[in-house]
Amino acid sequence: MPIYRFKVPTDSVTLEQREKVAMDVTDVHCGSTLAPRHFVHVYFDEQPEGASDYPTTYYLDAINRAGRPKEIKEKLLDDLLNAFTRHTGVPRDQISGRIGETPASWAMEGGQVLPEPGQETAEWYAEVTAD
Amino acid sequence: MIVYNCTIQEGVISGETRRILNERLVQIGSQVLGEAPDDISVNYEIIPHGFGFRGGELSTSSSVRSRIPDGFSQEKRIEFMQAVQDMWMEVTGQTTAELVVGAADASYNSYPD
Repeated sequence: MPIYRFKVPTDSVTLEQREKVAMDVTDVHCGSTLAPRHFVHVYFDEQPEGASDYPTTYYLDAINRAGRPKEIKEKLLDDLLNAFTRHTGVPRDQISGRIGETPASWAMEGGQVLPEPGQETAEWYAEVTAD
Repeated sequence: MIVYNCTIQEGVISGETRRILNERLVQIGSQVLGEAPDDISVNYEIIPHGFGFRGGELSTSSSVRSRIPDGFSQEKRIEFMQAVQDMWMEVTGQTTAELVVGAADASYNSYPD
């Protein structure tokens, strides 16, 4: 967690672009939260153009831990979408997205129940980054 | 009703291993949460190579995101997630660093207006 899923038309984003977007998204997420880098998951789902119900040709569907202020989530989403356009050349008005949420205590990663945002302890970091 | 939505990376977990995982996930849902096996379903999504990343690098990770009936205590939820995690690691050989497990209430809306 988080999980970022970019919905993209088939063959529209190259492997090199996907690698750059995934790295940039990881940088953006970790720059605004306290998540370990290896907790950031980025997927690209290809689908035929026009086959989806999303409001834009490209779309980011994300799941984060619940509990962050609305302003932070809005800035995070904007930064993530900008990261996508920066490496793909897709115009900003052709991508939109949303960040869904799930309670942190309803998920385990790194062998531990996730802490609430802002409640990450040094012990937790040590446990989940031990590998 | 319990629904498991498993996301795995192409080439990491074989079809035979997925068959074992199916059986064991149904067992866990039945034994830990008391759900009837016929009311437990397991779905897989396989991410093609080059389309899944973790920490900015190509991913080998799996996730098991489940929907469970409302009303279970946090202790029971953790027992369930722990059982799924332990079983998944035993069957697949993946580590805790390669696995995300979630158990959300069936009625929970991740995208409230």
